[in-house]
This record gives sequence, structure tokens and C-alpha cells, in this order.
Amino acid sequence: MKYETIRLIFGALATVGLYSVLYRENKMYRFFEHVFLGLASGYTLVAVWTETLKQSWWDPMVGTQTENGVPGQPGFWAYMFLLPIGLMGYFVFSKKNNWLSRIPIGIILGLWSGQQLQVWWNRYGPQLDDSLRPIIPTSFNPMFVPSTKGLPKIEVDAIKAHVYVSTAVSNIIFVITLLSVLSYFLFSFELKAKFMQKTTLLGRWLLMIGFGAIFGSTVMMRFTLLIDRMYFIWVETVWQGILGQK
Amino acid sequence: MSTKPRSEMSLGEKMQSVPKPILYLVLVLLTSLPLFKELNVPNKPNEASEDFYATVMAVPEGSTILIQSDWTGSTRGESGGEFESLMRILMRRKIKFAVYAAGDPQAPQVVKDSISRVNDERKLSGQPGYKQWDDWISLGNLPNAEAANQAIANNVQTAFPGRKAIPSTGGSPQDVFDSPVLKGHTKLSDFPLLVVVTASNTATIAIERYAGKVKMAQMVTGVMGPETLNYYPKQVVGLVVGLKGVYDIETLMEGGINTADPHTIKDDNGKFQGKSVEGFPGELNKGKATRYYPTLHFAFALLIIAVLIGNIGMFLAKKEAGK
Repeated sequence: MKYETIRLIFGALATVGLYSVLYRENKMYRFFEHVFLGLASGYTLVAVWTETLKQSWWDPMVGTQTENGVPGQPGFWAYMFLLPIGLMGYFVFSKKNNWLSRIPIGIILGLWSGQQLQVWWNRYGPQLDDSLRPIIPTSFNPMFVPSTKGLPKIEVDAIKAHVYVSTAVSNIIFVITLLSVLSYFLFSFELKAKFMQKTTLLGRWLLMIGFGAIFGSTVMMRFTLLIDRMYFIWVETVWQGILGQK
Repeated sequence: MSTKPRSEMSLGEKMQSVPKPILYLVLVLLTSLPLFKELNVPNKPNEASEDFYATVMAVPEGSTILIQSDWTGSTRGESGGEFESLMRILMRRKIKFAVYAAGDPQAPQVVKDSISRVNDERKLSGQPGYKQWDDWISLGNLPNAEAANQAIANNVQTAFPGRKAIPSTGGSPQDVFDSPVLKGHTKLSDFPLLVVVTASNTATIAIERYAGKVKMAQMVTGVMGPETLNYYPKQVVGLVVGLKGVYDIETLMEGGINTADPHTIKDDNGKFQGKSVEGFPGELNKGKATRYYPTLHFAFALLIIAVLIGNIGMFLAKKEAGK
């Protein structure tokens, strides 16, 4: 049996073993759970070195010598100070010296905090701008956005320049949703006006509809992951690996 | 749920307490059997997927794009399909790419395996393989997505100091910025496009740090989709969400966009205008999504039926209790 087939069979057994917990807690599940944890930890440790620390820290720090005509690079010796700063993070486990761990944490917090003003604007600024949408139609004939199929760009742009009735209705729904959901989060004072109470209630309903859509998308993903595992077991392992079918 | 023995349960109670192993068994059957049969589900790609496809197809041939890939084996079902379909388009259009990770140290190896699979596909169909150094470069992983993205936004070259790779002709490892892929690229604006393929919050972190510096498109999982949709189309010019998104891309790769009358939508230079984009008819466009998407419908059907059975059971049980 080829190494590739053995690898596939072991992968399929591990998948079945991990799914077996759905029936009940059992030794097979426990075994594969521990195998998975051990493999993942070991793999991550190696990956952290090869894909991160070696390339980002070790190689630049030690530099290179001229070899086979490729010019060498001087080492950035100051990078060595990063190691003790990083290791200070582990003093969080020491009762006596855990203050040392605050130094790297403080550096990270400082870097992160300094970015926040720009980050907030980059994230929400364009969305605030996008929230200001036209709700009055500029074209009543046709009522719906015409098809741009097969049209040159100049005509496509001319079509897009109008606000059609269908676009206006969509934008009105958007604006009502935005305002009513925002009103739901006004917790600082009591909303006594009937209109505001109805608006917040509408906001709550619309939030629930939104959560339902998010849940549906999440379910799609979970099912897809299961289907992928089934494809791995039946098609890649059994059909192609063991039976050698294409 | 009733704790009575099953033999003493009423019909309504039985309907509410279908044994879990039976449900799981049916689910396994429904997610396995359709995989062996080629089924076609009619599809109308959504606008976000069309914009993603049009954006990637508008990248000039021979140029280099940047890819941030933050997915691993745990989301292979969705992210794997997304990444492979992106690879197929880039390789067919001879677009070079540099790929890095900012979310998981395992991601670079997963990406290399995925590229290798698509490369094997190309070789089997008689097309030239995509070579590391000449056509693509792996920049590895940068820890802490916030800091990594900020460093890349400031200067791409200094964000990856000392990164080396072996040239396709062999010899000693050389600086990746001397490769045909990255030569002359120092700023984000030197890249015509950045694509983020992710299964996590790094999609948002990239938007926060790269805003206005590079045109960005994203491929995210179904879980991240609703959150990321807020940024389309202002901050993210194209968006592929989950399995439906990949199915859209595979559909577009076969048929293109607005291909009904392609002669009228080219300008004087023969280039397509607006959103009208060609596909790759006749090539291997069907990937993971074409296999998985029909199967997904069987799983959804089971979910809907199970909800209906449970609710009808509850209704019957209440009615029987009221007698």
C-alpha cells in the first residue's frame, strides 16, 4: 500500500473518531482528540519557527555572507533585544516578578492604542458616508433599474446616474432599518414618546431578522465543513485512494 | 422533551424526540451520496461575487498582486475552494502573486499545498506550471495581524526584511524583492490589487489598516460573510462569501459576465467595458463548490424537515395534552 493511501486512511479514521463523540463519549474519540492536540501543537511550534521567527527575526539578525555570487547582508544586531523583551511576557506566571510581563504587554497596548483613531475612521468613515442614500427617485420611467447587458460603458454610466423607484424603495428600507436599530441602543435615557417606543420595537424586530440571516449563513458554513469531511472520507480516501478510481 | 419510554410516547412526543443517532445517520447519508452524482443547481451569481470576478479579471496580465491568506485545514470546505478558484484565474491570466499570512503560522504551508494541487491540475491538462520565484512568492507569516498590516501599509519591503527564496534556476536563496514577482514593489500602491482570503477577523483588520492605500477584494467564510458585507462595495470592491460565493465564481469562470453579446461591449482597443467580462469556457472551472453546493441543498432540506417535524410534534403534543 502506498504511503499516500495510508495517510488518507489514517486521516479518515481520525475524522470518524472525532465525529464519534456525537454518539457518545468514547475511547476512540479521546485517542484521536489527543493525537490531534499533540500534532497541532507540534506542527504550530515548527511553523512558528520556520514561517515566522526564522524569517522575521533570526535571519535578519544574523545576516548572511556572500555566497555563490549572491551578496551578503549585514545582521541587524539590535534585533537581539527583542528576545528578552518577548520572554518577559512569561513572567506573568511569576508571583514575585510578574510586573516584568507588563513591559511587553504595555508596548503592544501602546502600539495598538496609537492606531485606534485612524483605525476607527478607516472602518466606519466610509460606512457613515455610504449611509447617506438618496430616497427620492429621479426617474419614474422605468420604475426598475434597466438591464445593462450588452451596453457600452457610457450608457451603463447614464443608467447608473439615475435613482429609480426600486432603488429609492431599497434605500428607504435601508434608512428606516439603520435609524430604528440605532434607536434600540439608546439606553442612556427612558424613551417615553410612543413614536420612539414603536421605533425601538421595530429596531428589535429588524435586529432579529438580521441575526436570523447571520445564523443561516453560519449554518451554511458548518454544513459545508461537514460535506468537505464526507468528501474526504468517501471520495478522496475510499473512491480515489483505496479503490484507485478517478 | 419527554422522559417517558418511547413505547409510551404519543405521536407528538415521538416527533419531538427523534433519536439523535438517526438524525446524524440521515445527515451523513444526505451529505455523502450526492457527492457521487454530478448535479447541477441553477445559479445567478450575486453582485458582490460578480464584482470580485470582474476586479480580478481587470488586473493587467503579467502584473503582481498581493494575497493575504489566513485560512487553514479547519475551513478547507469553504476557504479551500475560494483559494483554488482564485489560483485558477490568476494562473490562466499569468498574473504573478506574493502571498503572506497574518493570522496563523500554519497558513503558509496550507497555501503552498493548495498552489501545488492547482499546479498539478494545470500540468495534467498540458498547461505550463506556475513556478515559485518566477510566478509567485511566499512571504511566510507575520504574527499579530494588527501590527503586521500596519507595517505592510507603511512599507511592504521593510515589513518582510531578509525574506529569501531559492530562484527557480537553483542556487543560493536570494532576497524575494529581487525576484521577478516583487522587483520594484515597495508600497501597497505598487500592487493593482490585494486579495484577502480568510476565515477570521483579519478581513476587518485589513480594511482598517489598508484603507485607501490599495484596491482590496476579499474571500471570506459564511460565518464572516454578514459582517464583511457591510464593507462592500465602498471599502471592499469585490466579495466572495462562503460556498455560494465560490459557486458564483465557478459559474462566472464558465460563462463570464454579460457574455450574451460580447462584440458590442468592447471598446476601440478591444477591451471589455463596464462589468462585461469573459469566462474560461471549456477549461476546468468546476471545483469544490460545484461538487459541494448541490449536496448542501440536501442538508438544508433535512434541516427544514427536522424543524417542521419538531414543530408539528409540539403542536400535536399540546393538542393531546389539552384533551
